[in-house]
Amino acid sequence: MRIIRTLLVVLLVSAAVHAEAQTARPGRIVGRVIDAGTGLGLSDVAVQVVGTRLGTMSGLDGRFTVNGVAPGTVTLFARRIGFQPKTITGLFLDPGKTLEQNVSLAAATLQLGVVTVSATAERGSVNEALDQQRLSLNVVSAVTSEVIAKSPDGNAAQAVQRISGVTVQDGKYVFVRGLGERYTTSSLNGSRVPSPEPEKRVVPLDMFPAGLLQTITTTKTFTPDQPGDFSGAQVDIRTKEFPAERAYTLSLGSGASSSATGKSIPVARTAGGEPWGAVGHKRDLPALLAGLGNLQGLNLSPGEKNMLVGLFRNAWSPTPSTAAPLASGAFSVGGNDPILFGHRIGYLFSGTYSNGTDEKSNQVRALANRGSVTGSTDEIDRFTGATTSQNVLWGGLANISTLLGGNHRFLVNAMYNRSAENNARIERGHFENEGIDARIQRMQYVERAVQSLQLGAEHSLGEQHTFDWAVTSSKVQRNEPDRSEFVQQIVTNPSGGETLRWIPTGNGGAVRTFSVLDEVNEEARANYQFSFGSASRPHRIKLGGLMRNTSRDADTRAFSITAPGAPPSVTELAPEQIFDGRFSGLSTEVFDLAPLAQGGAYSARDHLTAAYLMGEWSATEKVKVSGGARVEQDHLDVDAVSTLGAPLSTSKRWNDLLPALAITWTLPRDQQVRASVSRTLARPEYRELSPIKSRDVLNGDDTQGNDQLERTRVFNVDARWEWYPHSGETVSFAVFAKSFDRPIERVYRSAGSGTRTVFYTNADKADNLGVEVELRKSLASLVSLLEGFQLFTNVTVMQSSITLPKNTQASATNLKRRMVGQAPYVLNTGLTWVNKSGKASATILFNQVGDRIDAAGDTPLPDVIERARSVVDFSLRVPVFNGLSARVDAKNLLDSPYRTTQGTVTRDRYRAGRTFTAGLSWRP
Amino acid sequence: MFFPRRIAVSALVASLAMLAACSSDSSTEPLPTPVLGASGQATSTTVVKITFTSKAGDTGYNVERAEGTAGAFAQVGTVTAPATPGSVTFTDTGLKASTLYRYHIVTMKGSSVSSPSAEISVTTLAFGFAAAEINTDITANRTLYADTTYTLKGFIHVANGATLTVQPGTTVKGDFNTLGSCLMVLRGAKIQAVGTADAPIVFTSSRTAGSRQAGDWGGLIIVGNAPSARTGAVEIEGSGTDGTTVVGGKNYQVIYSGGTTATDNSGELKYVRVEFAGYAPSLNNELNAFTFAAVGSGTKVSYVNAVNGLDDSFEFFGGGFDFSYGVGFEGEDDQFDMSEGFQGRLQYIISYKSTNIPIRTGAGSYGTDMEGIENDGCIGSGCANGYDTTPYTQPLVANFTLIGAGSQTIHGPGGGFGMMLRRGVAGYYVNGVVARYPAGGISVRDVNTYARAGSVAIPDLATADFAVKNIYIAETPVAFQAASATQFVFDLAGNNIGYDGARTAASLFASIPATGSVPSGAFDFTPAAGSPIAAGGLATFTGKLAAKAGTAVTGTTYLGAAAPGGAKWWQGWTIYVRN
Repeated sequence: MRIIRTLLVVLLVSAAVHAEAQTARPGRIVGRVIDAGTGLGLSDVAVQVVGTRLGTMSGLDGRFTVNGVAPGTVTLFARRIGFQPKTITGLFLDPGKTLEQNVSLAAATLQLGVVTVSATAERGSVNEALDQQRLSLNVVSAVTSEVIAKSPDGNAAQAVQRISGVTVQDGKYVFVRGLGERYTTSSLNGSRVPSPEPEKRVVPLDMFPAGLLQTITTTKTFTPDQPGDFSGAQVDIRTKEFPAERAYTLSLGSGASSSATGKSIPVARTAGGEPWGAVGHKRDLPALLAGLGNLQGLNLSPGEKNMLVGLFRNAWSPTPSTAAPLASGAFSVGGNDPILFGHRIGYLFSGTYSNGTDEKSNQVRALANRGSVTGSTDEIDRFTGATTSQNVLWGGLANISTLLGGNHRFLVNAMYNRSAENNARIERGHFENEGIDARIQRMQYVERAVQSLQLGAEHSLGEQHTFDWAVTSSKVQRNEPDRSEFVQQIVTNPSGGETLRWIPTGNGGAVRTFSVLDEVNEEARANYQFSFGSASRPHRIKLGGLMRNTSRDADTRAFSITAPGAPPSVTELAPEQIFDGRFSGLSTEVFDLAPLAQGGAYSARDHLTAAYLMGEWSATEKVKVSGGARVEQDHLDVDAVSTLGAPLSTSKRWNDLLPALAITWTLPRDQQVRASVSRTLARPEYRELSPIKSRDVLNGDDTQGNDQLERTRVFNVDARWEWYPHSGETVSFAVFAKSFDRPIERVYRSAGSGTRTVFYTNADKADNLGVEVELRKSLASLVSLLEGFQLFTNVTVMQSSITLPKNTQASATNLKRRMVGQAPYVLNTGLTWVNKSGKASATILFNQVGDRIDAAGDTPLPDVIERARSVVDFSLRVPVFNGLSARVDAKNLLDSPYRTTQGTVTRDRYRAGRTFTAGLSWRP
Repeated sequence: MFFPRRIAVSALVASLAMLAACSSDSSTEPLPTPVLGASGQATSTTVVKITFTSKAGDTGYNVERAEGTAGAFAQVGTVTAPATPGSVTFTDTGLKASTLYRYHIVTMKGSSVSSPSAEISVTTLAFGFAAAEINTDITANRTLYADTTYTLKGFIHVANGATLTVQPGTTVKGDFNTLGSCLMVLRGAKIQAVGTADAPIVFTSSRTAGSRQAGDWGGLIIVGNAPSARTGAVEIEGSGTDGTTVVGGKNYQVIYSGGTTATDNSGELKYVRVEFAGYAPSLNNELNAFTFAAVGSGTKVSYVNAVNGLDDSFEFFGGGFDFSYGVGFEGEDDQFDMSEGFQGRLQYIISYKSTNIPIRTGAGSYGTDMEGIENDGCIGSGCANGYDTTPYTQPLVANFTLIGAGSQTIHGPGGGFGMMLRRGVAGYYVNGVVARYPAGGISVRDVNTYARAGSVAIPDLATADFAVKNIYIAETPVAFQAASATQFVFDLAGNNIGYDGARTAASLFASIPATGSVPSGAFDFTPAAGSPIAAGGLATFTGKLAAKAGTAVTGTTYLGAAAPGGAKWWQGWTIYVRN
């Protein structure tokens, strides 16, 4: 808190100094000239301040700056051969200030008269021209920072679910068009984000605070200039660029979760450092134990094992604590100032922090057994309880860019994010196998960090040539130190009451798990573009390449502590008494210690080289054709240490040619039809290729990879009709079809005594068909009273079927069904109100995802279904005075339960609680 | 690679920090600590290998040796500590054959020396015993000879229709150092291991007697081609841990479901012991001492003894064959475990449990529900109708003697029943003795199991698929686990079930140790004079029981595995040891 206060003072003082320096000096006009037809920057446009001799030529990406403009009302004039010239009136320039005004130019038709528009109107036409959804060659959807600012969304995962066809699982992982996460890739400023999850290749998007985001773009069709390993979508997160003039923002917020805040709930024990998601080495595996490896081949004496057990942190049971309110804070400073010998440098520095505590209450989990009647299911192993979670998310970014000579732009982007969750779960239930009641206490702490450093440049080489390149180094870490599980038998006393007795045998009575993952990505890419043809019939040729090296190291070590033969006088003590050292001397023989999940270590090295060539050709003024192909060569090596201590290596070499063809017809009355076909692919995740058997860190299933896995080839067909009746309004209808050749699917293998193993296999084939409808409509055009109201809705309805081979390895799964993770429909709808000044707004959002397969059932059990769930969020923004504005957000207003079922059995169910936050934002 | 650099570095940093913390206590350098987990192995008549793990900061190690149990220690060598802490091996040569040597290790750090580590005792090998390693799959007929000690290294499969013949008196060891070493006789292949009472065939740990532990090696797995209740691909627990392709010597996936021939023949086992088996190649997937998966009725099994296995002593998955004269000692889960439609007939079987034998570190864990017999219907994937899936698990178990440890702590929180019959299991359990179980004599669990008996307290042998008849239960708190919605009780008198909870197990038999005492090995399971188990047997089988028994199993006038005054059939070839 003191840091924030100090910061506030510094900001206030510097703002005051800045204000004093502003006298009636000349101002500056900056902006971009864009092609109204393509949304691309137009260079070599003459921009003049009417009535003066001031003027300039637009440079790289259409950017221009006119210095030394006298304050007051200004008119701008822009022209270029082949385009209709334009005059923009009604600009007002304050003394010493910078005014930002973008201009769109349309290709010249027969009349060459000058068009005159007001500055306000021009903003609308620019927005329209920048509408990526409309202009892009492929099917894209975007969430912009303006939209995010109006929503209650706190991070990228929440924001991205406003996009049509997007499903977000666990509040983190993105599914697009109902396809599993393996078919979605994520990038940050165009470069791949490494995955911090040990078993999946996914990026938890909740790691990116909303305050740092400019846009989130979801590309649903492939063009050869994109990575070939996506079939559902490519999600690109762009961080904010600098503002035209120095600006500060500071916002603070606080809130409450209906399930936790102010209540006394059991929370996980801490070791120090959790509020910053940085516990350092405080939870590391005890050093002496780390040095002993997997204890194989050693001949430890009972006393030695007792001593080793005493080295673990004595933390097993959550402690009751009153949950603190949610808190968040963010600041940013950005501008474009003559810092370097008078040379202008654009910059943005931004930081954000939030934390909170929530509880999944009324939690029920159970397993399903096949019932006696064919097709029925019986519930076993039902446990009820609650999980509390203390979450922290913070991060910062630094963006620095500059223009050199108008035609060269260099930028440096650095970002660091860190998140942590400290979970505690207490539950009581019945073990069918042992026929006993039990109480389970679990504590889990996970921290993740993503860092990325990017250096890039764009070069405009004359009117026709542009060249851009970027080198990126990024790194993710996932650290899950010292997870604990402690299981007690509940013994009902004959005299009433109950006794809790530790289960000191078996593998699960007392377990500590330590897990680390590091992944580093180094990527270099370059693109060259040659534009030719006329303004009304432009043609382009684009070529480029990419090289990426990825290396990942993951290691999980788990230890089971047992006390064979320990009497009730030991096992009936509280866990923190059992493990306080009284039984762990070198001379005692109470405990036994054994490693679990032996061999949960693997490392992967992935080298990807790609090159592409594509062209865009305007066949007529109304018909654009684009096509090309991408070549990708992937060298992937995965080394793992098996249960038996023997290393197992998998090596894959894949070469692929990925063609794509797209056609866009522009129809009268602002309509467009587009169609595309392409071939893409999906590669197995690293862990899936490693044929060792180990226990999943995340869900506790025994998991085994498959070194025989092949990549999946996907054939995609998309068609879409779009209508843009007014600025900011959209109606679109799309159909898509995908055919998967040998898709990778998560299935089960079963073993004696009813144990089972998760396994990955190439299915024979799968098909996915769908329809998407999107509507964005201003209600003012219907009823004038409703000025400022906009309704938007998007619905995706889809259907998939996957056929698994009837092979001998994995027939424990239903062989023909929907793909895992595929929802039959996704619905997003919302209503937004914005007042005339644009400063006050209110938004209500509704989201529903249809029943989808969470996990394929092991036959003859039915599949595990995650049930449809409705979510309503509300947010309100109101200006207070000057630069101060207030926001009120309410999330998950319906608090409908999260529920997965298998037949008639509820496998998992809980309520997440409603969240209310309020905050103030200050922009001096 | 197994230890990422970060852990290694942090280990180093932490140990340095520990050292720094210690050194602030006194002005002199602290004494180094002795090494942990040292072990020794005789590799020939003259050579012993000592292995231990070095620690960061140590400069070297003195290895000291003493001969015999009383000799004095003298230094025999020095090893410099490796730069990176890890496994250190010292080879001591020029020793005498068949001689006990003791070793300990003194850690040096600069000029300081530690106190000696814990002592290790190693006996060098004897002359005259040939040794052979089996480290690849057996895919053609092969004979193992009695004059040779064989060591199984890795997952050895008898495959490709080959027959493995083992001569009487042959010893086969599962290699302790090659994790999971075991022998799997696959579908289509056969094992002919026929020993004699004087020269049994022994499968045991490669460690020296006295230092053996449960789970030292894998075990004996036999996979036949008889039907089982589960459909789909069901694999042997613990198989398929490293790769899915069929590669010799590796632990590839072995499927036992889908068998088609009830009369399938996997060979013969007679006078065979399996000791200290049960290593778990993957978590919760301990191998059993004896695993019979889908083994058909052409297979003969008699006079078999499981000693100190980490999981079950004998586990039967589906299939069905005749099994007689089986003894399970101290198995760390159930002694007899039948499921998945097993149809076999067992007669004259003994289960004796008195303690939990120490487990090899990392090999697995004790069961949380150890019973004498644990029989299940169908559980897991491929059970089309859950607990009611057919064929039912319907064995005939006759003349059984089940003796527990009398301690809930030993049997685990969910264990301690003589017979756990659950999940829709059927079968006939007659002429048995159940004693010294801390939770109860018999548990008839789940409504489906009770339905097999016709849902009546006195099942009618003419119609019932499930009956428990002519049993004597002693030294248990209850005869049957108390009735509830999922728990059922048979009528004692109506089924000729005798019960005396206060009567000790020891009083029933000619000679067995008292509860809690260590067996000497000289068991006499014949009824004591005047024991209630000397009579009361079901001598004549009727109805479905008679049909099931055929000529293979006949009624007896006594209860238990041994006839009054009859042959002590377990003597001479079974063994009771704890290490």
